[in-house]
Amino acid sequence: MPEPDGGELGPLSSSPTPPPSYPLRHSLRSPLSPRVSLCWCRGNSLRVSLFSQPASEVEFGGEVVELKLNDGGDGEISNAQWRRIAYGSVSPFAMLQSRRNSFSSLSKINSSPYHLEWWEYVMEYSKDINSLLGNPKSSKNSLIEDPKTFVQKSEEPTCLKAAWELMEMFYADKLSQPWLPERLVDWLADYDSLFARAYGTVYSKLLNFQNELINLQVIEDDPRYWEVIASALAVGWLEIVVKLLRLHGSYQLDQLSNREAWEKWRGQINKLDCSAFWIQCHHVQTREGLRNLLQIMLGNMSSLSAATSHWLELYISHFLYVRPFTAGLESMYSLAQRCIQLKPMSNSHKLMGVMIGILGENTEVVLAESSKEFGPWMAAHAIELLTAGSDEAEALLREERYSLGEISLEELHRLVYAQVLSSHALSWQIAPVYLSSCLKQGMGLLEILLYRQPVPHKELLLKNLEICRLYELDDISSNIMKMAGVHHWKHGRKGSGVYWLQQAQDEFRLNKIAQLLFGSVGKSISDESFKQWEGLIELLHSESKAAGGLEFLLKYRDFKRLLQQIGDGKNDVAAQQAVESLMLLMKNPSTPQRFWLPLLNDSLKLLNWQDRPLLNVSQTNLLLNKLQELSIARLRPHFVKPDFPMEALNSVRLSLATNLGRAILEE
Amino acid sequence: MEKSVLKLDKGTTCTAWNYCGQRLAAGSVDGTLSVFDSPDPASSSFSRSSSVKVREVGISKVVWVPPEYGDAVACIFEDGNFSIWEEVAEDSLSVQWKLCEFFKSSSSKVLDIQFGVSPTSLKMVAGYSDGSLKVFELTNPLELKNWQLQAEFQNVIDSVSTFGKASCLSASISWNPVRGEGQESSFVMGFNSDTPQLNSSKVWEFDEAHQRWLPVAELALTEDRGDRVYSVAWAPNIGRPWELIAVATEKGITIWHLNLSPDADGRLPVERVALHSGQEGEVWQMEWDMSGMTLATTGSDGAVKLWQSNLNGVWQGQATFLPTC
Repeated sequence: MPEPDGGELGPLSSSPTPPPSYPLRHSLRSPLSPRVSLCWCRGNSLRVSLFSQPASEVEFGGEVVELKLNDGGDGEISNAQWRRIAYGSVSPFAMLQSRRNSFSSLSKINSSPYHLEWWEYVMEYSKDINSLLGNPKSSKNSLIEDPKTFVQKSEEPTCLKAAWELMEMFYADKLSQPWLPERLVDWLADYDSLFARAYGTVYSKLLNFQNELINLQVIEDDPRYWEVIASALAVGWLEIVVKLLRLHGSYQLDQLSNREAWEKWRGQINKLDCSAFWIQCHHVQTREGLRNLLQIMLGNMSSLSAATSHWLELYISHFLYVRPFTAGLESMYSLAQRCIQLKPMSNSHKLMGVMIGILGENTEVVLAESSKEFGPWMAAHAIELLTAGSDEAEALLREERYSLGEISLEELHRLVYAQVLSSHALSWQIAPVYLSSCLKQGMGLLEILLYRQPVPHKELLLKNLEICRLYELDDISSNIMKMAGVHHWKHGRKGSGVYWLQQAQDEFRLNKIAQLLFGSVGKSISDESFKQWEGLIELLHSESKAAGGLEFLLKYRDFKRLLQQIGDGKNDVAAQQAVESLMLLMKNPSTPQRFWLPLLNDSLKLLNWQDRPLLNVSQTNLLLNKLQELSIARLRPHFVKPDFPMEALNSVRLSLATNLGRAILEE
Repeated sequence: MEKSVLKLDKGTTCTAWNYCGQRLAAGSVDGTLSVFDSPDPASSSFSRSSSVKVREVGISKVVWVPPEYGDAVACIFEDGNFSIWEEVAEDSLSVQWKLCEFFKSSSSKVLDIQFGVSPTSLKMVAGYSDGSLKVFELTNPLELKNWQLQAEFQNVIDSVSTFGKASCLSASISWNPVRGEGQESSFVMGFNSDTPQLNSSKVWEFDEAHQRWLPVAELALTEDRGDRVYSVAWAPNIGRPWELIAVATEKGITIWHLNLSPDADGRLPVERVALHSGQEGEVWQMEWDMSGMTLATTGSDGAVKLWQSNLNGVWQGQATFLPTC
């Protein structure tokens, strides 16, 4: 039983030897300063800043290089394909999780006739995922059969698909359990081509022979012909065997026309072996070839071994001829070990680790190998198959481990996969689906992921907030809106800034903004700025709770508008309205004292009205009293000098006095 | 596996990426601050959007201000002073980088600055060459001028003992990256100096009741307390029952677990879970990835190293990257 290497498994496995060294390629020609700077950006991307030596004569002072970790793979699956698989996996995964949540509550209540077994849901999930993993094996039967084509060179399957189907077969498909050896025979028929490069295969032998056919006059004279028939027979590819036999020179059209005839022939094997046919057959190759085929069917070990190329093929042939289809999992494993001994693996292959782990019923090894050979996607998604396999497997994968920070292996692999998804601008949005299924650390990682999305970009911001809403992350949402608000405010888009700060309910900053607006009181501002200032007050007032101060600002705004309407001093009506407004403001106890002088200063135009005095005696007296209050206040020790020129005091006093005189004369 | 992102100008001495990796600030030996931007998040091409001569003195480090307070950076200069520059649009003028505040340090030089976001305000911690640290607080959240000095103290557990003038080569500060609504943030700080008491990394927490900063943990074994500290890094905590902090000292890289619930004497329990000695030279920078599962380090050997913990919680080097043409 293969043992895990000192407990170091999975994506975080390491070796006790020094870590592997890789080149970090850059394009700087000058010698580098050893001082290297780095920053993690987006998931598993590491940006490294390299600097040239200070003294060197260079075009560039340095370069920033981005390393995408965990992104390698052996190129079996292209990036575009991986993205398709990633996007396509989201729905099945999410569906399964929601089914799991409802399943556990339902199963306690009742078992209705419409209620599927859990493994059936897992199978549905598995089929959905499987359909994403490369093209389905094209049918071997074409309409017009070319007798010289016994092996179809169809689209190359992937190891990923092969591994997935293997796990589905052994863990999820409960209906398959009694038929595992048969299923394995079919599996090898589909995927034998994958082993061609590492070991020889029956598949490649067949393909090579097929290519040679044109050069052969008498097929049955060539020893390879009998070899390939023997090999195809050994692994149970009977259709191919039949096709090959039909190529024999002696074949008559009506012989071996269907499977039944073949079965009958098989049933008479022993009789054949002793029959007189052998003496009558003069063609040596045919005689020897056919005898060998019989030996294969009788389960002769050396014949089987000669006909097969690697241990898996030998293994399959065992199920067909030595111990036909009667093997439990334990004996399957010991048989596998024997086959490996008989045909040791000269090279390693991606699928072998997984296969041996599965046969050895070692869940941890299966998970570790899947992760190592096929990456984080596989680990995260195949765990669903593994947990359906057995209660022990489920317990192992769901056990919370202190060493991992009190999360399970299941959660760990989902987190790792989510981080891989976060590494790409096009796939980060699907990470939340996986993170929400991680009960302990999922939300923490999601929070960090969301905070690292750029705020100025509108679509991303909205997407980000949408995710917050979906997962009820109000605090994060509010912080992100705060960031947006500050960004827009500082970059000149004050309206947007206020809008986002209001959405974030950031009273602190909104109050500061209101205070800024107060700063405009009494100052002359351009029409353009006034519009903006007006707009901001309107925006702020619509939602802000700082009612008192804003009430004043609103009235002041109205007052300013009236002043504008007066224009060049002719509009009597507007002027009178402005005066009313001024009086209201000055009488209002909530108007801060520091604004009295600015208000009066603004109103100089009104006070110096040409045609007639706009203020009557009592109004003027009120204002003079206010001015007096202000003068006394200046003498008090704690008086804070307002940000306003005090010479204005004199001009206001003068205007008021003049106005008083004129008003008295009027009355 | 790797790809070139952008080329830096001649004389660049330091770089820093902002919170989302969309903007790069680069400081140069002639006092120029350059900012590189990418047009949109999906693109990976960057170009220089601004270049400002901030001072006639070289910039040795650039640190971004947290995004809740604007697009701004702190520049630490070779002469030990530092300033804060912000990208703003004033009235109807276009966006440009402006000086917010210049912090002059007369007696000692600033060695490191880091910003910490708390629910109520922005804090800035600065470590100085005389072994002291200052905590500044921003009074108005909308303006990056007007910083108030909140506290000034030394990086020592026992505040009573005195020692002579310290001389520090470097300081390293790392805030707890948590963004909680509730608690005030804490930070860890270590020094590389000739005064042993200052060196070891201490975790500082603000005591609201007494309005002062208290050292709640020391990340050093008793026998290692005087060791020079080159760098510290506090990992993001996505839900672990402990805080994970990396400390690089003259003895090597150490990984610590900090427990959040205080023990009887008010200190936070710590446990050193890894020590990797045999590093050639100094470690210069350590950064945790977003989940706190991988630590990347750089050092005087010019290599980038990655560290991870295996399933049994054992921390080990995973890969080394050597810059090659």
